[in-house]
Amino acid sequence: MTETDFTTYEPDNSLKKGYRSLFSEIFSELNKSRWLIFQLFKKDFVALYKQSFIGVLWAILLPLVAVGTFIVLSGAGVFNVGALSVPYPIYAILGTALWGLFSTGLVASSNSIVAAGPMITKINFSKKSLVIASMGQALLAFFIQLCLVLALLVYYQVTPSPAILLIPLLIVPVVLFTLGLGFVLSLVNGIVRDVANMVSVVVTFLLFLTPVLYAKPTTGVLAALTSYNILYYLVSVPRDLILYGTSDYLKGFLLSSAVAFFVFLLFLAVFHLTETRVAERV
Amino acid sequence: MQDVEIALSHVSKKYCKSLRRSMRYGLSDISRNLCRMSSHSNVLREEEFWALKDVSFEVRQGEALGLIGANGCGKSTVLKLLNGIFWPDIGKVAVRGKVGALIEVGAGFHPMLTGRENVYLNGAILGMTKAEVNEKFDDIVEFAEIGDFLDTPVKHYSTGMFVKLGFAVAVHCDPDVLLVDEVLAVGDISFRRKCFKRLKELRDENVTWIIVSHDAGTIQANTDRVVLLDRGEMAYVGSPEDAINEYLYSLSLKRVTPGSNAAQVVDSRSSKQSVAADFEVDRVVLLDKNLCEREVFATGEPFAARIEFTAKKKIEDPAFGVVFFNGDNEICSESVTSFDGVRIEKLEGRGSVTLKTDSLPLYSGVYRLHLTVRDGSLAPLAEMSHAAYIKVSGGKLFSAGMFYMQHSWDIELDEDRIGSAPRAV
Repeated sequence: MTETDFTTYEPDNSLKKGYRSLFSEIFSELNKSRWLIFQLFKKDFVALYKQSFIGVLWAILLPLVAVGTFIVLSGAGVFNVGALSVPYPIYAILGTALWGLFSTGLVASSNSIVAAGPMITKINFSKKSLVIASMGQALLAFFIQLCLVLALLVYYQVTPSPAILLIPLLIVPVVLFTLGLGFVLSLVNGIVRDVANMVSVVVTFLLFLTPVLYAKPTTGVLAALTSYNILYYLVSVPRDLILYGTSDYLKGFLLSSAVAFFVFLLFLAVFHLTETRVAERV
Repeated sequence: MQDVEIALSHVSKKYCKSLRRSMRYGLSDISRNLCRMSSHSNVLREEEFWALKDVSFEVRQGEALGLIGANGCGKSTVLKLLNGIFWPDIGKVAVRGKVGALIEVGAGFHPMLTGRENVYLNGAILGMTKAEVNEKFDDIVEFAEIGDFLDTPVKHYSTGMFVKLGFAVAVHCDPDVLLVDEVLAVGDISFRRKCFKRLKELRDENVTWIIVSHDAGTIQANTDRVVLLDRGEMAYVGSPEDAINEYLYSLSLKRVTPGSNAAQVVDSRSSKQSVAADFEVDRVVLLDKNLCEREVFATGEPFAARIEFTAKKKIEDPAFGVVFFNGDNEICSESVTSFDGVRIEKLEGRGSVTLKTDSLPLYSGVYRLHLTVRDGSLAPLAEMSHAAYIKVSGGKLFSAGMFYMQHSWDIELDEDRIGSAPRAV
């Protein structure tokens, strides 16, 4: 037996290791935790829907209400959804489904550490798994809503582009972006509880700021803002590709995806370096 | 010599009393670490305190170490440091092999999930693979004795069932080091016995464990060595018997000695030595059977307390009273010369009075000796509420009763019924 068999803990433990060995460490942990992530996801899922009559159907009901509101608002002339070449419900529900990956995912992941409660301070396990597992709810809701979209496509006799088969790939950037933010927000929320409340508020606000339920405006402040809105590209370009097979903002999408990927890696590293520090303050 | 499995060297850990400051410190520590700067964790900031201070010990492979101490002495913190849940603020913690921790049984359980689902979930959290849980599943369920309730959500479980299931999962995860924190107190006696049997089996497989408990019996029966913690510091390391005695002393000493509130409240009389100017108690000495001065006595051994005094003028028909108080300030025993029909006609000059017993009837702990001397008219001559402290070490006899009865046993074997168990008469 040599010194290396020992796991050692020292003050500022994270400073011992270089940034280089960091990612191999992180990914071997994640690889080992695959089953744990699934179990944690299952737990979240059961906890959410087990004692409920309609269960996962809530995942459909909520976007329907949101889309319904927009339909009523635009019908009353309060709000203009803009010019669209597909029926509005398809456009809007596919949009909210993609948006939900971000909004549901971010709310769930930033709460994940606090929600785990005493587990954090009583058992030493992969906390990254908690954050990742919390994304599971958002993914599940997305796929359920996707079924609704498929039903609507059949109903309105709209043929989507073959890109619809690439959905699992197309949602990767928005999922990584959400996870990245989720990693850092869940940590900060562990210390300062204001974060969770802030996230809910900001996410609602962003929904109105991002052309998800309406077409991208062509003029005005919102148009200018939208062209810098990373979420717009991450949500709307996959939708364009699914519905039309092409998008005017492919370059923006690729750029945003690169940013999303960078955000993910950066905050994953931040999480890895600081998760233990947070455990004692949760 | 077996290998060292766990080593703590000069480990300290601080906590923050204020939540608000804790938030601020947490953010600043994290930011500093991210910039690859030290968080200067060895310095106490405002409202921080050391929950653990300079603790060092080693545990060898296959050894069972007990951790005892009053609430808040840092026992759980030690376990959390060993488990890597927290980092130390000073010093170094090294653990070899896979650590299984039972810091809180069922901490990873979700109330809505069934017993079956929770076994898988908890197994995953404790680091088992799916194949491992599948393989051990039947053993776990059998061990937990939950039977028909396997598919019932655990929120409908009784506390005992919950603990049983949690324990069952944890002991089946094949750890090299097992940390057990005061979790067995909840189960019923038969289950506790089963747990300890399982722990013993693990020990035969060379699993190292650290067990935290308030129960002297548990510690004594299951550990090789004990570390006593007192307000975050190591107060004693040694054999279970000695450490438990030290612990019991420290517990009762705190309550018995002046300055501790309990003693002051109950004993409102002053501990003033002499009430009368012409009589003075010089000292009170505790003696063993050879009349040698001693501080620590064993339960059941001969004991004497000698009161040495000086009477400056003639005192007629005095009476000496000695009362033993325990840590809770309850009177354990009272002996007065006049009640016993011992008459002292007069005192003058120096002298001594000795109270003797062949068998000290007190169990482990510290006792306070209260002395009263009165003259023939019952006027007090001297009153000492803290005349002496007697440390009693019960050895293997931990306060299993109110007092120790001096006794003996006779065994008679019935010749006609050979093979039947010996009868104690």
